[in-house]
This record gives sequence, C-alpha cells and structure tokens, in this order.
Amino acid sequence: MSSAVITVQDLRKSYRYASRRGGLLGAIGGAFSPDYKLIDAVDGISFEIAAGERVAIIGPNGAGKSTTLKMLSGILEPTSGDARVFGLVPWRERKALAYRIGVVFGQRSQLWGELPARDSFALLASIYDQRGAAFEQRLKDLIERFELAPLMGQPVQRLSLGQRMRCEITASLLHAPSLLFLDEPTIGLDITAKAAIRDFITENAREEGQTVVLTSHDTRDIELVCERVIVINQGRIVVDQPTDQLRRRFLAHKLVTLHAPSRRVEIALPGVMRRASEPHLDVFEIDTRKVRVEQVIATALEGGGIEDITIEDPPMEEVVREIYAVAHD
Amino acid sequence: MRYMPSLTIEATPYGFGGLRSALAAVRLGADGAMAGWPVLLGRAVFYLLLMIVLTALWDKVIAERLPGTLVAALPAGGLALYIGVTEWIGLSVPAIHLRLEDDIRSGAVETHLLRPKAYLVQRVAESLGAMLVRLAVTGAAALAMLAASGRAWPPLPALAALLVLGPLGATIGLLLFTIAGLSAFWVRRTVPAFLILQKLLFLLGGLFAPVTLYPAWLTRLAEASPFAAHMFWPASLTVDSTAAEMADALLAQLVWIALLCGLAALIWRAGLRKVLRGDL
Repeated sequence: MSSAVITVQDLRKSYRYASRRGGLLGAIGGAFSPDYKLIDAVDGISFEIAAGERVAIIGPNGAGKSTTLKMLSGILEPTSGDARVFGLVPWRERKALAYRIGVVFGQRSQLWGELPARDSFALLASIYDQRGAAFEQRLKDLIERFELAPLMGQPVQRLSLGQRMRCEITASLLHAPSLLFLDEPTIGLDITAKAAIRDFITENAREEGQTVVLTSHDTRDIELVCERVIVINQGRIVVDQPTDQLRRRFLAHKLVTLHAPSRRVEIALPGVMRRASEPHLDVFEIDTRKVRVEQVIATALEGGGIEDITIEDPPMEEVVREIYAVAHD
Repeated sequence: MRYMPSLTIEATPYGFGGLRSALAAVRLGADGAMAGWPVLLGRAVFYLLLMIVLTALWDKVIAERLPGTLVAALPAGGLALYIGVTEWIGLSVPAIHLRLEDDIRSGAVETHLLRPKAYLVQRVAESLGAMLVRLAVTGAAALAMLAASGRAWPPLPALAALLVLGPLGATIGLLLFTIAGLSAFWVRRTVPAFLILQKLLFLLGGLFAPVTLYPAWLTRLAEASPFAAHMFWPASLTVDSTAAEMADALLAQLVWIALLCGLAALIWRAGLRKVLRGDL
C-alpha cells in the first residue's frame, strides 16, 4: 500500500510485573529478589492503514487495543517490532509526530476542568504553535460545526458528558491533524450524544481526508464511523476486513429485552431466538438480516402487558468470541 | 470544506514556540487561580489571622524580655516583618506536587505526552501563574495589615528588592515541591517526600525562627541550602540589609533556581523512561 499513513510490522509489547509471594517472609524476600512475570499485551501484529481510511481496532478488554494505540501515538515503546506513522517512529519522534496527530481518550480529559473550554483551546493553540487568521477561522468553523458557542464560557467541569466530549474532540482537532486516534470516544454518552459524535467524526474525516483509528466497545461506533475493522484478541490480529463484510457476518444481531410482569412473551418469527427467560423478563436475540427490530417489537406488543423494552447490541466480548471461533474453524 | 495545513506548525516546532506556550500556561494558571477567588480570599484571611496570632506572640516575648531567651538576638521591631514575609512566600506556593502525583498516578500524564511541548515545563508554568496571583493577593493583604497596624515600614529599597526576592523565593519553593511531586513516579504517593520537605523548609527555611539564631554550624548549613533562598533571605533582608547583601541573595536564588531546574529535569527524564517502558 503506497499511501500508507501507518505501517506496523511484527509489533510486540510485553509488560513485566513482580509476582507477589505469600506471607511476611515472602514479601520481604520479594522485595530483594522479585519474581518477575511477563504478559504479552501485543503479540506480533502487522498491518497498514492508508491515508483517509477510517479503521476500528476492536477486541475484548485486555486484548491489546489501547496498548497498540499508545505505541502508535508514541507514548509507549514496544518490546520489539517496528511501526511508522507518517514515516516517523512514534516512540522516538513523539514531539514531531504530535503536530500531525490528534488523540482523544474517552475516559481522560485534555481540558482544564475549572476553566471555560475557550481557555483550554487558547492554551492548546499555543502548545501546537497555532495562531493567525487561518487558525482563528478553523476554530470558528469547529465551534460552529459542533455547536459549541453557548458552551465556550462555561467551566468544563459543569458541562454534560456529551458536551464535554464535543469539546474534547474539538480540542484534538485544533491543529488540523491528519490522523485522529480515538479511544472509546462515545463511552458513557447517551444515544443522542453518541449519534452527534459519530456524525461529527465521520463528516470531519470525509471533508478533511483525515485518517481515523478508533477503538470502541460499541458496535454502532464501528458500523457508522469505520470502513475497516481490525479485531484483536490476546494481543493478536484475528480478523482484518471491511466493516461491510464483518457487519454481514457478525454485527447483524440485536438483543431485545422485554419486561412483561403478567406473562411470558412468545415471538414466533424467523431470525428470533430466545436467549433468556426469567420471571417478568424475556431476552431475545434478533438476526436483523432475517427480521427487522420494529417487526419483532410490534409482534411482542400485540399480546399486551409489556412495561419496558430495551434494545442493545450484543456485548463486544460475544462478537469477538464469535469472530474468533469462525476465524479458527 | 478542506482546511489548509498550518504552515506555522513546521516552521516553529521548537524555539520560541516553547516560550510562547509556557507563557500561555502561566496565563492559564493565573486565570485558574482567579477563577477560584473564594480560595484566594480565604488564603488572605488565613494569612491575616496567622499574622495576628504570631505577631502577638512574638510581641509578648519581646515585651517580657524573658531572661535566658533569644530575645536579645531578635532584630528589633523587625520580627513581625520577618514572619510576615516568610508566611507570604510560604502561603503563595501552589501544591504542584499534588497535581503531579495526580497526573502520574492516574496515567493522565500520558495524555500530556501526546503534545509537542514539554509536560513539566507546562505544568510548572501553570503553577507559576497561580503563584503570581497568590503573591499579589496575599501581598496586598499583608500591606493593608501593615498599614493598619501602625508598625514601621521597611525601607523603600528593601521593599523594592522584596518584589524580586519574594517571587524568586516562591519559585524556589515551587521547584522543591515539583521535585517532591516527581517522586510519584517511584513511590506513587508524594506525602513522604513532601513531609520531609516541609520539615526542612520549616527548620532550614527560617519559618521556625530566623536561621541566624541557630547554632553556628546549623546556621551555615541553612544559609547554604535552597531552603534559606526560598524564605530566609527574602525575609531577613527586608528587615535589615545592604545592597551588596541583596545582590548576593539574588545571585544565590538564581543559582538555586538553575540547579533545581536541572535536578527536576533529570528526575523527570528518569520518570519519563518509566512511562515509555509501560512501567508506571
């Protein structure tokens, strides 16, 4: 791939930790001669990402997603292997790379909580040597696009999670990076806020030709934002294919939970399978390739007595397990 | 819409860009301190209460002329001023060690490493901004109290020198706290390092008493330490000093600032190695 922005070859990262021994003597002995153990967080992965691609790296907790992202953004050195981002070795040329990448950690803020977002933006602009009319125009555009104008004067710690995330993403785009790393950007957000974030990321990446690398536990993030999915499990790449293919095979399921105190709900439709049944609660797995969710809901409501309905994606762990099983058949 | 790549990015990745971002961080720190104005006000009130108690205590000691005490060695009429300056400096140093501990323990330091400017410089600059606001507010309270007390004012040259020696002394304190904060890379909690530092500041910095009242060997040790450059020199020279003494104190402060900056940079570099290895 000649236009590769990211090239990764046999990248490995092992963490060393001291295993604790039991008892007081064991603890004292361990302090002088620790018993080190190794964990392979990333175990020889190789891939390329082309300019303008939007790629999801998914996997269960502890699969090695965040470790991979940290190595690619330069804040973690690998144990062995090679990676280039814009031709730079990230962990050796971290500061030079920083001008060209934007990073959002969904669970960590890069803004100053006690101050309004505009103050954080002003400091970030100087950190990235951004000034002049071009920068002012970009900031104005981002504020407009993300509808941040009413929020700019409020201390960040008083914003809702969704509002804060809009500010976080804006902060990561101030220096017009060509590559955006997003680690769980929609975690903890409500449906509306998630949709807004996904739309923004996609629209912005399309318009600016930006490359996006995203990790998420939400399959909707992957489906709606990314065109390619790399599945990692136990530090290794299990699957690397276009999202369309993955969607057809693995992301076509929904879990519908029905709360019906007065009866056991029966749904006799193709593509609907009962997953669990407890008093007052029935869980169905729906294959959306065979039946639409609204059809299932309509059928369930016909019998009456339903007090609550929840529609969810299957947990990422399940999806990855299924992918892993199929990949190893 | 397609954004034009910023030409300034490649043109000035280092050099003055670092100074500009550090100054922006100073401003942000100052803004943050001013945003927390109730805390500023509370600190000023605390300073006034502390000074009322301490000056009353030392006035009583001096008035009683207690035999066998250090009264004879105390500077006449200047002790209140001495205490006022040490407390002014001491109360103005932000708790940067807690900020560093929080960033290091939570892993938030990684987020900052993704930026092209040095994390430690930015954090110290932010605290410097907050410190300047604290110095100004507590200093205003101190001057108001001095005016209201009817006590003698220090000579004008000493007061002018204090405007330099005071903030530089506070900067030395900030750097000492920074070094204590960086211990979080190894011990996770900065409390042990901070407690040791606090006791040294109390004793060798002259907060307990002017270090010239100690035994000769301890006086020499204190005067040669950064702790004296932090509080003792600015406070004692405000009471009684010559231009040459002020110049010596200024030089000592600048040397300590350079040495402490170097030490902090070395410790930071060792800590950064731990982060990059994933050994935090």
